[in-house]
Amino acid sequence: MVFESTTIPLLQQVVAFTEARHHLLAGNVANMDTPGYQVRDLSVEKFQEKLRVFVEASGAEPPVASPGYTGPATSPREAALREVEESMKSILMHDGSNVGLEQQVAALTKNQMLHNVAISIMTSQFRLLQTAISERV
Amino acid sequence: MISALDISTSGLVAQRIRLNAISSNLANMSSVRNENGELKPYQARFAVFQTDNELTTAHGAAGVKVAAVETEQIEPNYRYQPGHPLAIKEGKWKGYVAYPRINMTTEFVDALEATRAYEANVGVIEITKNMSQQTLRILA
Repeated sequence: MVFESTTIPLLQQVVAFTEARHHLLAGNVANMDTPGYQVRDLSVEKFQEKLRVFVEASGAEPPVASPGYTGPATSPREAALREVEESMKSILMHDGSNVGLEQQVAALTKNQMLHNVAISIMTSQFRLLQTAISERV
Repeated sequence: MISALDISTSGLVAQRIRLNAISSNLANMSSVRNENGELKPYQARFAVFQTDNELTTAHGAAGVKVAAVETEQIEPNYRYQPGHPLAIKEGKWKGYVAYPRINMTTEFVDALEATRAYEANVGVIEITKNMSQQTLRILA
């Protein structure tokens, strides 16, 4: 495939990850006043770790778009959940909820930035391909 | 990775907690009983800020955190109200009612300052976002 010589498969994973994370973060903001709600997030560090392994061993299986899901504790990746939850420095409210609006909005912004970077690189790669296909400069 | 965005966010959180303390002080301006129902006037709360050593960038920029929310320990404001059911029955302050000593002016100025500081942090976040968008323009 022509795409395999580019970074498009990699960028596709990044975009899929940021999109999945965006849904969770939006859910966190929506549940700001839900009693007992615990913040859900995807670990960017874990994703990038997997992505690096994928890059280093070229030809390996592409990583799953959402490793390190830190949702409900029923998930088998409970260890990852604890790790990320502890790193979240939010205040535990009296109603058992720990959503901090500012942190969530900041996470949303950073996620959006990552998404925009990936999309921009992807666009320029497609433009290069387009140029090659059309045989025009 | 700690970024400028995280630093600004820590500022937002700290200023919001400070504003919470101020609104609590203003709401309880006339509370003659404390949270346990005892006859002790409300004492003003204030947030103490501290540089957050866990939130530092590689270049030495540091975030802020609320170290503690302290309670003021000052003399209550005695008002002579002999007919009041909660008036002090005996001693030096006989016939007086102990009210919280809260200076409305100070509280309002603090609230204004907290709001402006919050806005300043939002401004920095916008600048940070703008910068990264400008970087993207090189690409696209």
